[in-house]
Amino acid sequence: MTILTGKAEGGRRLQPARSGVLRKVWEHRADYAYVLPAIAVMLIVIAYPIYYTIELSFFNTPPGLQLRDKIFIGLNNYTAILTSPVFWKVTSNTLIWTLGSTFISFVLGFASALALHRDFVGRGILRAVLIIPWVISAVAASYIWKWIYHSDFGIIGAVLVGLGLADRPPNFIDNVNTVLPSLIVVNIWREFPFAMIMMMAGLQTVPDQLLRAAKVDGANAWQRFWHVTFPHLRNVSTVTILLLAVANFNSFIIPWIMTGGGPSNASHIWITHIYELAFGRQRWGVASAYSVLLFLILMSLGYFYVRALSGNEQKGGSE
Amino acid sequence: MTRISLGGAVLRATVSTALMVSLMSASALGAPPVDLNKWSPQYVRSIAGTQNFDTAGDCAKVTPLDYKGRLTFWYQGVFEGDPDLLRQYYKEFFETFRKTYPNIQLEEQALTYNDLLDKFRTALLGNAAPMAVRLQILGGTEFASKGYLQPLKPEDVGYSTEDFWPGAMKAVTWEGVTYGIPTNNETMAFIWNADIFKRAGLDPDKAPATWDDVVKYSKQIHDKLGIAGYGLVARKNAGNTPYRFMPQLWAYGGGVFDEATASPTYKQVELNSAQSKAALQASYDMYVRDKSVPVSALTNQQADNQPLFLAGQLGMMVSHPSDYNVMLDLQKKTTGSDKEKAQTVIDNMRYGLIPTGPDGKRAVVFGGSNFHILKPEYVEGGKVDEPAAKALGCMWASPEWSLKMAYAGSNPGNLNGFKTKWMKERLDNIKFLDVTTSMLPYGIPFPALPQSPEIMNIIVPDMLQNALTGAMTVDQAGDDAAKKVKDLMDGGL
Repeated sequence: MTILTGKAEGGRRLQPARSGVLRKVWEHRADYAYVLPAIAVMLIVIAYPIYYTIELSFFNTPPGLQLRDKIFIGLNNYTAILTSPVFWKVTSNTLIWTLGSTFISFVLGFASALALHRDFVGRGILRAVLIIPWVISAVAASYIWKWIYHSDFGIIGAVLVGLGLADRPPNFIDNVNTVLPSLIVVNIWREFPFAMIMMMAGLQTVPDQLLRAAKVDGANAWQRFWHVTFPHLRNVSTVTILLLAVANFNSFIIPWIMTGGGPSNASHIWITHIYELAFGRQRWGVASAYSVLLFLILMSLGYFYVRALSGNEQKGGSE
Repeated sequence: MTRISLGGAVLRATVSTALMVSLMSASALGAPPVDLNKWSPQYVRSIAGTQNFDTAGDCAKVTPLDYKGRLTFWYQGVFEGDPDLLRQYYKEFFETFRKTYPNIQLEEQALTYNDLLDKFRTALLGNAAPMAVRLQILGGTEFASKGYLQPLKPEDVGYSTEDFWPGAMKAVTWEGVTYGIPTNNETMAFIWNADIFKRAGLDPDKAPATWDDVVKYSKQIHDKLGIAGYGLVARKNAGNTPYRFMPQLWAYGGGVFDEATASPTYKQVELNSAQSKAALQASYDMYVRDKSVPVSALTNQQADNQPLFLAGQLGMMVSHPSDYNVMLDLQKKTTGSDKEKAQTVIDNMRYGLIPTGPDGKRAVVFGGSNFHILKPEYVEGGKVDEPAAKALGCMWASPEWSLKMAYAGSNPGNLNGFKTKWMKERLDNIKFLDVTTSMLPYGIPFPALPQSPEIMNIIVPDMLQNALTGAMTVDQAGDDAAKKVKDLMDGGL
């Protein structure tokens, strides 16, 4: 039996409109009040910068003028970006960087998670060791790797020369052809533990009885993986890949510290290029136009991320 | 007929003589405190220790010592490439300032050369800049042209414009108005390892006379000893690159514009001239053709070359007056046999003038830093405590502190600093100081344009990288850089 209190009745009498949406809003007014501070903060720190960036992208900001004296140029920044050979070079670098880092980190992380999922002596220690690259500061890691790769006195070069495998140290980061793959290796080293942790968590949700049943039915290890384990990990894999992709699109520290985008723009990716345009060259307008384009790309990735999460929730709910 | 009485004549003569003397005195007051035409190591020695200055007394005339106020201040501080001695003097300076002006609450923040411009620009966009800033010589014009800085001349802090190097004053002047006070000015020199020279079959006590010789020597050192000959630096967004490449560019007769001439107009872009390309070709020959310089030059800064030099793995480089002290500091950190090896390098360290171009032209970047005061509307809180800022400016630009703060790494911005007792002490303690001060008259300031930071930190290094990586030929790299400068000057995107 439901007992309506006077207060509740009074509340019902105060309903301002009959429209469904408004009624729902009114019913959830307390919920809205709770999230209001968070929304206000988000509007200030996210919505306004987004609006301002979009606005700036329609202006020219020459180095001799203050930002407030910017000149309206319509879509010229976008035209200039899309017709610039640097844009295509940087975009191709960004795609190679993002796809290469994401795919290999995921595969390595998944493989490590599968290996560590089994029980063996020293598993805990190995797990802790493998997580180290992820917890090391990216700045520190970049400086360490810069010296590991050093084209004259790097550790790798010294070992190769010492073992007689090379006449002179290999040129990793001072060569336009090798610099990007070399940086991708560092990025993979740093982020595969993240994929590993995500997949390890996912592996714990795979029902043991299903695997045992498959084994009883004669399925070999590969078949058990492909038909039982992998389908269970589809959603966590999607989320992991999307998170890695977004993080890689937004990467800055490793390429900036190790090469500054050089040599000859060979390791410039979108974020480092935007940073250089804005802070090194004060092309706030062009940098903003780049940022708007990047924002659209990341938003579409975000859409898939949310869809993947919703898929998870729905699946979880139906189960 | 006019009768001229003797008394009247004497009176007129006395008055006119007095007037003339007074005019002469006035012009004498406006004359530089040192004779720049006589500049030589001997002259510098002869004036060192000849005058005493009362810093607190002088600054009290600008801002009373009991003045109560608050000052926020950013400056290009000491970093890993600087000697420990400089660190001590910076510490001592701020301690002394606090003692001299006990009622001024000073909130200072040190930033590295490469970070300062970026952070300062960002702060200005948000009207969150400090009240005063000490910027690298390259930055002043950019901020003055945008209207961020208050007009500020040496006279505002108790000195005379003539007390400072004319080239340094040019770097703080925009459209005829002065916006800052030089704190220190320096020129680099050429450093080499005599032992490496000897082992490579070169005269150990003779620096390469021309840049063509540098190319030749670098190859000879590399071919004979298997180590890098010349310490080329070509990293982007690092101040080290223009400081090392521009002297080479100017020596060959090239330039970004006509900045190496007596009265530059900055109208014509010269990066694509035959002379500029010849300078670029010299770098290309060392890096690509002869492979006689560090391969890591494209990602390295000078701070990376210093340990290589100390380890005996680098034959020669263009570097700071402070490098001898840096080497001593680095040597202290070595252990075992490395210590001995480092000592051998230090014993064999030689300083010389930077080589000339094919026509005998010698040039070096006239570097340094300047003190500026911001306009209130761009400062956090919207207020600038001018008396407090001027007190700091007066103290830093004083003969005493402009010398002490440059003791091991630079030279005093205030020419009177050369007359202090600390200069005399410095000449005795800092080895090779003579050579680096001798380079000062060859100093060429960067173009006094708001576009200079982008040209020097991005376009010039890009040109080098494009040529050295083979992304472009030398010709193409020169033309590409010239086009970028032209576009930039035309206000292009």
